Amino acid sequence: MVSSKQRQFDALVRSLSGDLFRYAYWLCGDEALAHDLVQETFLRAWRALDDLRETAAAKAWLITILRREHARLYERKTPQFTSVDEIDVPEERGAHLPEFSGEENLIRNAMRRLDPKYRDPLLLQVLGGFSCDEIARELKLTPAAVMTQVFRARQKLKALLGGDSREGSVHELP
Amino acid sequence: MNCLDFRRRLGAEPHCNDADFLRHRQDCPGCAEAQARALAFEQTLRQALAVPPPAELAEAVLLAHATRQQRLRRVYRRGALLALAASLVLAFGIGLRVEARPLTDQAVEHLRAEAVTLTFTQPVTAQAVRDAFASRGLALREVPDGITFVACCPMGRHRTVHLVMSGEGGAVSVIYVVDVRTGAREDFQHGGWQGRSVPLGAGTLILLAQDGSRFDAVERAWRAALDAR
Repeated sequence: MVSSKQRQFDALVRSLSGDLFRYAYWLCGDEALAHDLVQETFLRAWRALDDLRETAAAKAWLITILRREHARLYERKTPQFTSVDEIDVPEERGAHLPEFSGEENLIRNAMRRLDPKYRDPLLLQVLGGFSCDEIARELKLTPAAVMTQVFRARQKLKALLGGDSREGSVHELP
Repeated sequence: MNCLDFRRRLGAEPHCNDADFLRHRQDCPGCAEAQARALAFEQTLRQALAVPPPAELAEAVLLAHATRQQRLRRVYRRGALLALAASLVLAFGIGLRVEARPLTDQAVEHLRAEAVTLTFTQPVTAQAVRDAFASRGLALREVPDGITFVACCPMGRHRTVHLVMSGEGGAVSVIYVVDVRTGAREDFQHGGWQGRSVPLGAGTLILLAQDGSRFDAVERAWRAALDAR
């Protein structure tokens, strides 16, 4: 007889394993490792499934578990951040935008070249659907620092795509 | 919110629904166009990041989960069996150790645990004594006088009848071990007690007292009672 916990677990795996894999892949950059991370995440999630109060929060909860599992494997330094208010905003040009390149591979390559300290919050936002406040809690940063990082992540990504160097005009904190 | 604030917010949160943000977008065509471009970029970015997961990923995870659960159940079962086996070995080992100890040692230990019985002075009825022995499968020919305590006690794995006989010269504890007969009659001293072990009938009579001066009389009385002269 299948327990309600097992049914809930099955549903989570079937509905969220793809999203988790995508996030894990961009987090670690390796398909096989991403697979292992997703598997280990769900196996750990099973043990703590009673802690999951809201199904709507399941994805964020699982991503948090996945990040911990990844961190357990790969200890990383916490990046330093600047304030979003210190950033100059250059005029956009059509050439920067990926729709003109028509190449998703270019974006993927650019993402791979992006520094993890920029890539991590961007992934949490774009793939995880986290708000800046949620990312801040996840990364143990201030919301302002997160806003700065995701802003600069997009700028750097566009610069990598279009070869524009104006993102270098972003002010650094003293 | 001015255009710079809007663009900063746009770069950080392209899908922002903040009231000030939305109001500025409504009032500023340039920023509205910027957001349209930003959202298009977001759409392309999301598509680019959407790497396809391995086929049967969910099934692989569920299989791994089921396998681990099965393994855990096996480990628990094996652990429980090992624990049971260990308990049996331990119990058996303790049993062997107990059995390896001389009967007289076990009797002294038993008496220590029930030392209070030596203080009893009220005589028990002859019938109570007969009943105690009868429950051990023995019929008494007669019942000695002066018995102030009687009980059927386990001693290790042995079955006994434990009695106390009061009288001048102090109380004597009498333990008749029903199911084992020692090889030879002997007097002994153990832990401050004087003792005598007597093979009697199918069992062993063990006498213990602070003063063994009454042992001969008590032994005679029990030889008569058990019809084992």
